[in-house]
Amino acid sequence: MERLLERFRAANTAVMGISVDSVYSHANWAQSLGGVSFPLLADFHPKGAMASAYGLYLEDKGITDRATVIVDAAGKVAYANSVTPAGERDIAALAAECERIDKAYADAHGALAPLASQAKPLGADSKLYVKSNCGFSRAVLLARDNLHLELATVNVSEDAAALDALEKASGKRQAPCLVEGGTALLESKDIIARFLQSFG
Amino acid sequence: MISVDSKAPDFTLADHLGRVIKLSDYAGKQHVMLLFYPLDFTPT
Repeated sequence: MERLLERFRAANTAVMGISVDSVYSHANWAQSLGGVSFPLLADFHPKGAMASAYGLYLEDKGITDRATVIVDAAGKVAYANSVTPAGERDIAALAAECERIDKAYADAHGALAPLASQAKPLGADSKLYVKSNCGFSRAVLLARDNLHLELATVNVSEDAAALDALEKASGKRQAPCLVEGGTALLESKDIIARFLQSFG
Repeated sequence: MISVDSKAPDFTLADHLGRVIKLSDYAGKQHVMLLFYPLDFTPT
């Protein structure tokens, strides 16, 4: 899916996954798949509420059906299909479907303007400091991998010299920390927000 | 399953990177493909 995102983008289509799992489960699973940059939505609480609204929550099993719904930019359901939980999606066929929907939308409403990238890439000298057994460090590493960021990363728990370098750069012996140019971000939320900004 | 040509129910949900996604924010800008799947850590 991740490899085909460009084709969906060209068809003015944003791709999102949805299941009843939590954002933490999503982040770990996405990393294990090699990184997922498009949104994985947590239909977690109340469980399955969003899928229920689309008639796709399997209440007896506590899971979501494997199904695809394409909503056009007018907010109308343009495509809906279930392949059953055990089934397999045909992503190439879905890409063709999105291209068809984009064309039909353009004919009816005028063509959508392609999204301009607002990405502010990380500086080449940027460095991420993390430590072992730290949930905040784990969170920034998951975000780094899911956004496919190539970023110099050091673990200060395993590298005393890096801990000194971190203190010199940020004034604190605290990780996670993202050092970029002369600035240091010390909150995992801020670091992940900066990652997202670099991604556009 | 929701039928084609009906209005898509709006939703606001958090994603795995801390983004908050609202379907109606995409109106007039992009189409949205929703991939529903049973559970994480199972084959996609």
